[in-house]
Amino acid sequence: MYKEIILAGFGGQGVLLIGKLLAKLGLEMGNEVTWMPAYGPEMRGGTCNCTVVISDKPVGSPMSKHPHGLIALNLPSLDKFEDFVRKDGVIVINTSLINRKVKRNDVKVVEVPANEIAIECGSAKAGNMVALGAFIGATGLSDLEMVKEILSKSLASKPQLIEVNHKALTRGYELAKGV
Amino acid sequence: MPAVIVEKDRCKGCTLCVNICPENVLAMSKEINSKGYFFPFMQNPEACTGCRHCALICPDVAIQVEVKGKVNQKPSALTEKPFHYCPGCHHGIVHRLVAEAIDALGIGERAVGVAPVGCSVLAYDYFNVDMHEASHGRAPAVATGIKRGRPNLIVFTYQGDGDLASIGIAETIHAANRGEKITVIFINNAIYGMTGGQMAPTTLVGQVATTCPLGRDPNLAGYPIRVSELLKELKTPAYIARVAVYDAKNILQAKQAIKKAFDYQVKGICYSFVEVLSACPTGWGMNPPDASKWLKENMVPYYPLGEFKTPEKGVVKETER
Amino acid sequence: MAKKLMKGCEAIGEAAIKAGCRLFFGYPITPQNEIPEYMSARLPQVGGVYVQAESEVSASNMLYGAAGAGCRCFTSSSSPGISLMQEGISYIAGAELPVVFINIMRGGPGLGGILPSQSDYFQATKGGGHGDYRCLVLAPSTVQEAADLVQLAFDLADKYRNPVYVLGDGLIGQMMEPVEFKRTVNPEDLPEKTWASTGAKGRKPNIINSLYLDPEDLEKHNWKLKKKYEEMEKNEKRWEEFNIEENLDVLFVAYGTVARIAKTAIEDLRSKGVTAGLFRPITLYPFPGEALYSVAQKSKKVLVSELSTGQMIEDVRYHLGKDREVAFYGRVGGMVMTPEELVDEALKLLK
Repeated sequence: MYKEIILAGFGGQGVLLIGKLLAKLGLEMGNEVTWMPAYGPEMRGGTCNCTVVISDKPVGSPMSKHPHGLIALNLPSLDKFEDFVRKDGVIVINTSLINRKVKRNDVKVVEVPANEIAIECGSAKAGNMVALGAFIGATGLSDLEMVKEILSKSLASKPQLIEVNHKALTRGYELAKGV
Repeated sequence: MPAVIVEKDRCKGCTLCVNICPENVLAMSKEINSKGYFFPFMQNPEACTGCRHCALICPDVAIQVEVKGKVNQKPSALTEKPFHYCPGCHHGIVHRLVAEAIDALGIGERAVGVAPVGCSVLAYDYFNVDMHEASHGRAPAVATGIKRGRPNLIVFTYQGDGDLASIGIAETIHAANRGEKITVIFINNAIYGMTGGQMAPTTLVGQVATTCPLGRDPNLAGYPIRVSELLKELKTPAYIARVAVYDAKNILQAKQAIKKAFDYQVKGICYSFVEVLSACPTGWGMNPPDASKWLKENMVPYYPLGEFKTPEKGVVKETER
Repeated sequence: MAKKLMKGCEAIGEAAIKAGCRLFFGYPITPQNEIPEYMSARLPQVGGVYVQAESEVSASNMLYGAAGAGCRCFTSSSSPGISLMQEGISYIAGAELPVVFINIMRGGPGLGGILPSQSDYFQATKGGGHGDYRCLVLAPSTVQEAADLVQLAFDLADKYRNPVYVLGDGLIGQMMEPVEFKRTVNPEDLPEKTWASTGAKGRKPNIINSLYLDPEDLEKHNWKLKKKYEEMEKNEKRWEEFNIEENLDVLFVAYGTVARIAKTAIEDLRSKGVTAGLFRPITLYPFPGEALYSVAQKSKKVLVSELSTGQMIEDVRYHLGKDREVAFYGRVGGMVMTPEELVDEALKLLK
């Protein structure tokens, strides 16, 4: 087991949060993990991203030049990282904010209108969860129940948010499974 | 009929223009620009009176208004470079006002700015004049060096609340007390923006910041410093004013004060200082219109606006302000 | 205790609390803001005190006061802020006070940038401020090790009455990894500091001072400090050897973040039939030079890699002697090398 995943969007879309959930998932599965945010002026009003590495051995470099997976929640993120994804990797894109197709044809692509689905689920803010669900569905990294459980634990202090986020995760997951 | 011209790729979708428009002319588009932001368009063009409030408040110099064939010009003392500030941040408005003052006084070729450390650290990229980048808090000392070495230059610093009122309070007080003929523009947004929302010396009592997670407690951190009031007590002649830029009326007053401040320097009269109450939507965790509203309702009562000291009158009494 | 996913900065903060420290003085600077933020929330919960100073100069002098009063205390900052603290650090070294300084390094000189760097090696290991003094310097390479070394740093600071640096970089500070805290120290159980300014009740007054106007006294004081540094050199050298065996093709020498990147490169080189190993200094002062010398004898080539234009390499060259060729690969300004770059560099060297 060795996976490098980049998650990117703009500030406020919750990419760091779904990155943390992914890292917690890896830890829960018994792996070593690192979660590394890009930090700096670019996080002010610009793009925001983090890298998660999940490995069955101690993680060396916490950064990734050629990730196995990419979740792009907005257009600049796709522009920035598309070319670096490994062959046969997985790219999840948020078509609500990305008005072009993925150019690569050697990767698995999942298109999700994350913002619209999130609104249907009851919270405009849950687009990140839709994308995470789609990524889990597309990669088969774990089963959905495990992710839901981790999310419930992370939201223990805000229980009112659990249901809508579970819904968003599931919608994304099912959409990707249908691909 | 007047027309609002939106340079859509400069827009960060802050909605301040939609919010300020008295005739509900503007709305946000469903389209996104190259940066991934929604931008405004004229939904009711026939209602536009050409008041230019949208252009006045736009923090990204993305809006121009054509009235009777005339378009307001972007100040030449600004470069073309888009600001890196967060959507709805007031820094961009103040940058434009400073540049307009430089243009109005025709001092672009002898103006030298000093940028601080903080969100406006990159100000040297935006002002189309000679610029220095100072270390944290030392801008007034750097400005002193420039002005004393070349008294014919018009020297200004542009500093935030951490830079000016915390780590640089000594330099601030002493430059003012020596009566350095410099102009200091002080952005007070009651928080540390660049580093991610820590408490500033000007954070309000009870206001939450990342290093006062339960709200500022005056028993531990003291009360917010009113820098204008502090400086006005110095005997050395000075121009000290506090303004805000949350609505059109205040922006015009701020513009006046900033121009006056530069003018006192041009005439060699005194040290000049303009504090600008500014919104930090990201640091405060609010959308831009709400941040402007919060500023008006919470900051203005604690930090009263007006001129505190002028070289002609000395300390201005509260009743005269 | 189960492993918990924590950011490096937060793990450092919690480790300080677990080391019985209840005092923090600092000033915000990227990329270590999560440490003061964590302390501002956490210290009041354990009866501690957090102070946001008006500047780093001030923070370092608050530490001088608190440490002189016998309290475990620490600060964290990043390169430009650490430069401002040099006044306090020199006085703290001169007055022999135990203080822990966390430096989450960013690129310089001047304001530089805010991205990871290792360009404060000279500043940390060779002095930094004025006067003839040394600081102990510990360099973690994982979040777990950052937590462990912070706890150790407080013990070493007390043991030697000396400033101790924990030297990390933006990656260590910002990264999240699983952590567990192995021990918890209660501040009340710490041994009493009889030299501290705790109030001269039933004893002669204690004076916390670094001023010795009589040159004979100052000379004596300097030699006394020197003796202390020799003790540190005798007792405190720490390092890790990774994949070291007889007849290595290439030996990487790297610390902190770069060392873990080198580990990935080493795995990769093995798959290409190249035997590579790593010597990772954990203490940068005292530098584990003798251990490095004996490991280096097993390798054809030695390749030092740093996030600087070459600082630690001076210590490596000093210990390996002028006849030994030492290659260097560095990235600076916030750029971080990839494992692929180190692999290429090693292969080039072996050609």
